[in-house]
This record gives sequence, structure tokens and C-alpha cells, in this order.
Amino acid sequence: MTLLEAEHVKAYYSIRNSYVKAVDDVSLSVDRGAILGLAGESGCGKSTLVNTLMMNIRPPLRLIDGTIVLDGIKISEMSRSKLKKDVWGILVSIVPQSALNALMPTKKIVDFVKDIFHYHTDMSRAEIVSMVRKRFEELNLSPEILHLYPHELSGGMKQRVVIAISTLLNPKLLIVDEPTSALDVSTQKQVIKLLVDLHRAKIIESMVFVTHDLAILRQIADKIAIMYAGKIVEVASTDDILYTPLHPYTRGLVNAVMTPESEVRKRGITFIAGEPPNLLNPPSGCRFHPRCPYAKPICKEVEPPIIEVRDDRIVACHLVESFM
Amino acid sequence: MNPFVKFLSRRAGFLVLTFITFIFIIFLLPRAIPGNPLSTLLSQLFQRAQQNPELIKAVYRQLMEEFGIGKPLHVQFFEFISRTFTGDLGTSISAYPRKVADLVFSYLPWTLGLLIPATLTSWIIGNLLGALAAYKRKTIVDNALLPVFLTLSQTPYYWLAMILLFIFAVVFKVFPIGGAYTTGRIPALTLEFALDFLHHYTLPFLSITLSAMGGWAIGMRVMAIYELRADYVSYADSLGLPDSKILRYVFRNSMLPQITGLALNFGSILGGSLITEVVFSYPGTGFLIFTSLSRLDYPMIQGTFVLLISTLLLANFIVDIAYALIDPRIKTGYTGG
Repeated sequence: MTLLEAEHVKAYYSIRNSYVKAVDDVSLSVDRGAILGLAGESGCGKSTLVNTLMMNIRPPLRLIDGTIVLDGIKISEMSRSKLKKDVWGILVSIVPQSALNALMPTKKIVDFVKDIFHYHTDMSRAEIVSMVRKRFEELNLSPEILHLYPHELSGGMKQRVVIAISTLLNPKLLIVDEPTSALDVSTQKQVIKLLVDLHRAKIIESMVFVTHDLAILRQIADKIAIMYAGKIVEVASTDDILYTPLHPYTRGLVNAVMTPESEVRKRGITFIAGEPPNLLNPPSGCRFHPRCPYAKPICKEVEPPIIEVRDDRIVACHLVESFM
Repeated sequence: MNPFVKFLSRRAGFLVLTFITFIFIIFLLPRAIPGNPLSTLLSQLFQRAQQNPELIKAVYRQLMEEFGIGKPLHVQFFEFISRTFTGDLGTSISAYPRKVADLVFSYLPWTLGLLIPATLTSWIIGNLLGALAAYKRKTIVDNALLPVFLTLSQTPYYWLAMILLFIFAVVFKVFPIGGAYTTGRIPALTLEFALDFLHHYTLPFLSITLSAMGGWAIGMRVMAIYELRADYVSYADSLGLPDSKILRYVFRNSMLPQITGLALNFGSILGGSLITEVVFSYPGTGFLIFTSLSRLDYPMIQGTFVLLISTLLLANFIVDIAYALIDPRIKTGYTGG
């Protein structure tokens, strides 16, 4: 059973007369109850993709093509106002990358929460307050925090408060955009634990977790999608991605992870040469070919098709058979 | 000690220090202008008392004594200080023997009546239009409004006053060329006088409102554009908060610097829109300052500036406190808590 099904999604930033192809022909699905990790380097289009998945699109970003179905509803055809009223915060919520500045600075947190949920539920403000207090207690956050201003909280606390607010109405899908990149390691752990708790308690059904940190995905994700220059290059189970990566880019990513674990350490650490391409004018054929150590002439000319190597495993690489 | 009290007392300390510095400057500057303020007064006196030269000498000595002009500067200064702190602003030279305080208070209502409504109107309209332009950025609305704001904000207010005067009072004769009411009429609470007053009021009011509006609008537009891009806006948006409510958040947060600007503006209101009042011969405090400066009326200059600076400093002080109360972030910053 899939909760979210995106097919052939193209979302481009239109800049003057050209397009930045931040999301280019991406198909992706999220199973009910699953946690999907989305990894890739900075600027590859991860944030644009997840915002597109919930149709949070504003000019200059435009949805050029593709369909997105969430919980049986074709959200790619809904108007922004309808999405705001019936979908966002209810079916799907996002924990934004900039969660540290995501709270209204001149309002107490409780007033911000009241404003948001008063406007798209039938609940009275008093009901919202008791609901959010109860939820904070469930999540081991002191309800007293609600009566503080955002600047009075630490970074990790703000991050957890934002997660609690985003999930207040038990959305089916939670999108988390690099929630830990600005936090220290011990705070990261608390945030990850909170997300896992929300998932275990079935407050949220599924989650898309965006990061460039494969080590975190190893702890929580069921499946990992690897994104490169606006395209998904490989989707597989977490173990397959980490232990038998197929796409040369995935291999590069995995090999660049520093880890103290001995079986991985033997492999040594390597880096991917070169720089991410400019999405205004991406390379021809396979977008990874200028940096790929295995590149053949065909890679420069023909865009690789998406190959289903197994039931739950897809790769977009001409040379995949030679890696298996 | 309560950090807020500490903050207040530190601010008050600065207030007193600034005030004393200002007093010193106010005292010295007019005296640096060459000329003897008594000469005009004396020449008038001279015509009347030509037959009796002795009288002139006696009056001259009496006046020098009264205004203390012949005394050494430091003596004059301490007399001025001690008088100021007892609330005595002295006697006017050019309007001798009227008291400075009485003169200022008879001119003040006209200035307040002109400037408070004009400032408030320009502030409110400017902020609303600025916010609208920011919200409609990159559309025809903003493209049309921004050049208007820029032109208005860069138009010298006195030049605008003269242009308005020329067009509407000289060429078309729709409005009178000056004064606060028709000469000879006695101010009274009658409909006839009110209409006459408004007739005279329109041009000065418009010239101040229009020239100030552009600046407010540009300030608001920039702040609102910045706020519209803030992370809390996109987060609230992604959780489904309606646009109208988000705009109110943005407006609220962009308003903070504008409130400071408004309060500081009110602080300088006593000085009037000096040249506007001169252009329209409007009997306000700005006009008073202008005439006393041109006649070197030391007590008058000192008196008006002492009042002017007191209100300015007080307004500044109130803004500091109000700001700390409105914005919780600033309160923490100020009080260190």
C-alpha cells in the first residue's frame, strides 16, 4: 500500500527565459508506515523535491509535469488555497530546514499554535490549547514552554517544538527537511528519538527524511532514495544502499562516510571528484558522467533509463549490470 | 536589582547627560552669530526718545542688565541654567516685554494642530501603501507605486509647499496664500471660522503629508519584503495559516521600526515643519523659531530650543521603553536577561 505516489514529476524554477531543472522527471513512492530517506549533496534538489511532493510550490518554482497522489487524493491538481485548507497540516506536514527560525518571533508559541489550528479546524482556541498541552506532555516536552517566546528556547528545543506543532493534527505523512544539520550530536539524537517516537506511536504514519547524513538514515530509514542533480539515481532498502550500492554516485556517497565500524573502515574513505553540476545547464546523457570513474561514451550521449533490478530496487545507470 | 529598573535608570542617566550637553550648545551657538540683539529694539526706542538722550542710556543699561548681555559668558550661562531649571525661560527681546513661555504656548496649538494630523495621516497611509506594494511585489501595483514613493520621499517638503502654493493659491486661487485664518477674524468655535480655518489648513497639511508619506511607504515596503521572505512566514504557510493572517504577522513585525520613527517624529514636532510654516506664514512654533533666529532674540531661541529638545529627548526615552515592552526580543537584549 502506498501513501504517496509521485509520477514523472518535473518542477522547474523559471528564471528569465530559461529553467533551473531542480526536479526533473522524478517518480517516487512512500509506503504506508514506512520511513523513506532522501539523500544527496547540497543543491541537488532535495528540498525542492520534498516541497513539490506536498505541492508547496511558489513562483518562480513551477510544476511543469507529473502527478502526485497523496492518500488517494490527486493533490497535484488542487489549488493552493484548497491545499492550505484541507491538506497541509492535516494530511501532510513539513518540518522545514530552517526550523530554528520557523516560529513567529513576536508571539508566544501558544498563540502561534492557536492561530494556525484555529483557522483550519473546527476547534476552539481553548480546545487547541488543551490539545497541544497534552501532546507536549506525551512527547516529554514541558507544556510551560508554550508560554515562552521562540528566542527563549535553545536550538534543539525549538526543533522539537516545531516537530510537535507540525504533527499536532496527526498528519499521515511528515516531511522532515535536514532536521539535524544545525544541531550538535547529542541534540541530534534527541530529535531523531522524537521522530521515531512519533512514528512508533502511530501519530504519523509515514515519513520522508531528507538529509545528507547517511549515518542517520541507517538508524531510522526503511528505504533510501539517492538524488543527484535533480534526478533520483537509486532507490533501495537501507541495507542494500549502505552495503551493496549499485549506482557509482551512491558508491561515492557511501565511501565518503566516516565511520568507526570495522567492517566499513577497511574500505577506507574516498571522495567524489569534481563539483555538482549547474542545474541551469545540466550535463547531457547521465548527469553524473563528468564525475563518474566508470563513464563510457554511451553515458555522455544517452540518458540512462530507470532499471528495476529487483522488486524493490531501482537504479538509473547504463552500466548497472557490470556492478552486480 | 531588577534588570528592567537598571535599564531604565541607565537610560535616564543618559537622558540627563544629553540634556546638559544640549543646553550648553544652545547657549553658545546663538551668541556666535555676529550682531547685537538689542540694536533693533534700541533703534525703535531711539526714534521715540530722540529728545532725551539720557533716557536712552538709562533704558539701555536696564535692558543690558535684564538680558545680561554685557556680562561675561560664564555668568550668563549659569544664570541661564538656574533660570531654566526653575522653569523661567526669560523675556523675549523682539517682542519685549512678553515672556518666552507665553509666546511659545500661544503659537504651539497651531503647530500641533497642523503637524499631529499631518504626521499621523502620512504615517498611516504610507505604511498601508508600503505594505501593499511589498505584498504585490513584481506586479503592476508595485511598479506604479514605487516611483511615486521615491519621487515623494526625495521631494524637499518646502519645495513641494512652494509648488502647491504657486499652483493652487497663485495661479488658480483655490486656496489662500497664507495664514491660519483670514486676517481680522477672531478665532471662535463657529462653523464659519472652522471652514475658514480648513480652507487655510489644506495646503500646509497636504505639503507635509505628501512629502512625508513617501519615506514611510519606502521604509515599510523594504521591511515587509524582508519579513515576507522570513522562515516563519513559509512555515506558517506550509501549515495552512490563511494568507490574510500571515500578512498581519508580517505587518506587525515590520511595524516595529516604523513606530520608532513615528515617535521620534513627534519629538521634533515643536520645531514645526519650520519652512512650511514660513512659506504659508502659518503662526506656529516653526515660524516663531524662524523670526527669533533672524532677530537674534537669544532668550527666545534658547527657550524654544530647550522645549524642543526636552520633548525630543522625552520622546526618545518613551520609545526606548515602549520598544522594550512591544518586542520581547529587545527586552531581553536590553536587560541582559
